[in-house]
Amino acid sequence: MNLATVFVRIPTRLIHGCPPVFRPLRIGSTRLHSTSPVQPPDVARLAETARITLSLGEVEEFAPKIRQVIDWFGQLQDVNLENIEPAIRADMENEPSHMREDSPKTFENREAILAAIPSYKEPYIEVPKVLNID
Amino acid sequence: MPSASLLQNPRILLTSQTPFHRNLRHHIHTPNALPLQAPLSVTTSPPKSSILEIQKSILSQTQKASDIASEYLARIRQMEPRIQSFLHVAEEEKVMREAEKVDMKVERGEEIGPLAGVLVGVKDNICTKDMPSTAGSKILEGYRPAFDATAVRKMKKLGAIIVGKTNLDEFGMGSTTEGSGFHGTANPWDLSRVPGGSSGGSAAAVSARQCVVSLGSDTGGSVRQPASFCGVVGIKPTYGRVSRFGLMAYASSLDVIGCMGSSVIDAAILLNAISGHDKLDSTSSKHEIVDYASDIISKDFTNSSNPLKGLRVGMIKETLGEGVDAAVTSSIQASALHLEALGCVVTEVSLPSFSLGLPAYYVLASSESSSNLSRYDSVRYGNQIAADEITALYGDSRANGFGSEVKMRILMGTYALSAGYYDAYYKRAQRVRTLIKKSFKDALDSNDILISPAAPSAAYRIGEKTNDALAMYAGDISTVNVNLAGLPALVVPCGFVEGGTSGLPVGLQMIGAAFDEAKLLKVGHVFEQTLQNCKFVPPLLSESYGSDSTQ
Repeated sequence: MNLATVFVRIPTRLIHGCPPVFRPLRIGSTRLHSTSPVQPPDVARLAETARITLSLGEVEEFAPKIRQVIDWFGQLQDVNLENIEPAIRADMENEPSHMREDSPKTFENREAILAAIPSYKEPYIEVPKVLNID
Repeated sequence: MPSASLLQNPRILLTSQTPFHRNLRHHIHTPNALPLQAPLSVTTSPPKSSILEIQKSILSQTQKASDIASEYLARIRQMEPRIQSFLHVAEEEKVMREAEKVDMKVERGEEIGPLAGVLVGVKDNICTKDMPSTAGSKILEGYRPAFDATAVRKMKKLGAIIVGKTNLDEFGMGSTTEGSGFHGTANPWDLSRVPGGSSGGSAAAVSARQCVVSLGSDTGGSVRQPASFCGVVGIKPTYGRVSRFGLMAYASSLDVIGCMGSSVIDAAILLNAISGHDKLDSTSSKHEIVDYASDIISKDFTNSSNPLKGLRVGMIKETLGEGVDAAVTSSIQASALHLEALGCVVTEVSLPSFSLGLPAYYVLASSESSSNLSRYDSVRYGNQIAADEITALYGDSRANGFGSEVKMRILMGTYALSAGYYDAYYKRAQRVRTLIKKSFKDALDSNDILISPAAPSAAYRIGEKTNDALAMYAGDISTVNVNLAGLPALVVPCGFVEGGTSGLPVGLQMIGAAFDEAKLLKVGHVFEQTLQNCKFVPPLLSESYGSDSTQ
């Protein structure tokens, strides 16, 4: 079992009374305990991944709520699911092939699509500069 | 009393098949439930199909489509200040013109479609090309899609008139419609209560007779629970029965488009209109199309004494008892007795792993939504907040456009799908889905349909659940497993509990095997047409709604 250790800084407000610390976050671990099997959600980090700018106030407001729901998700760990296959969705076993021909069709209402674009500088969609931070 | 044995003994409840009309009153009167008296007038004739009545009037020229449209538009104008079912109402002139076109066709002796002259409300997460489609979110405020959803296109082809876009919890995430980015919707039965969600606007609009039928979407109960809260019929079809093209995706493996109406026949006719394979949706099914309405329209079941003879009904034990309102339980038990009186054999069934469905559903739904909602980056559509750099553009536009519940679910989904956590959450939830599919399949091998309450209570008060997410989620216990298994389910109003000025409606959920909507609709129709002493027309309509006008 490969364990990689990554240091993640957890904002102080999430740990009452503690100074800023670096806590190791284990990824790749598949051995799980029943109530809190993995590291608790780092809301600020998740918001970055999900590309949603959260204010500090929102991080504080959401963190306990999200943690509560994720703890509740934890009951899935208590169940024996050995030898059960995951189901991507409901049965599609009896369906004939749903592949269509690979032939392009022109969409007739191009103007409406273009009209919805916030920053259109024909023929480009304009966006601000892209910096490679990550 | 027969009701006591229901929860304890899994065997047949009534050993003698007695004609229902003689014994029904005796069986239904249980001490815990409100006596099922009509809340309004004395007349309690069963609901007629509004669609068939409209078609009949128009074709026989006893009424004009334009007059019917006027009536509905007047009710919208009158009720909207109090109910607010709609996020967008079509221009009256446009609606009238479409109705007049129908009248002209009739006058010329031309054929009209089965939905001609029928005013339909469409949930605002379903794309309509000539009206804004916001999914109830500020991020799409003002957005006009370039195309109609397939379900909308099909309805229009059959003559339907889209009267407006109905309110919803943002992107379908919620169970009260309080999560709309714009405003809430009131329950027509009690304006201080919610209509349910996320298709609350669709349910309220049909309940208040602001439109004839409506389309909603159901990912974890979002058609069925509001149908129950508002006293209307709601059907969630089998996954894949109706194309999802044009339905703004929340959880792609769970979403379906569903129908609401004030009678089972109306829901069936609408389902006919929108069902079928669509090459624009690779998850839509090629399963044969059945005419859901013709079978029940042509027969008169009320005269036979055992119209549902031999139908095996399984009452799901885990949906009754703890956590469920006593009055709701009584209502469902009374419905079981009613079904028995119609000839059904009702037994109690237990579904293993039932309670795991709720966390599994929320893991899957939030995970899939975190992926589906990543497209709302304000670059190609949506409301953009200017920024110097692209990640700030995404981050600020999304932060500004999404409401709190949507943000939280995206974050939870992001967590559950993160490297290292995928196995612990998402994959485990998919395994639970397999267990639940199997348990339903086993139960439906020995039963024709399964029944349960659509929700553990009647409509909540506005604001009652907004601060406690888990309490809000708990209300979905009877509905989510059906989405996990991809099965069809029908909700039919079955009784009342105390609340409001004259009681709050309660819905009975009937679950069928995959693609067995026809059986569900037949049972639902017979149940509805033989239900005594119940009229599901909200009190606030009695001023403008005589007891003998079209229901």
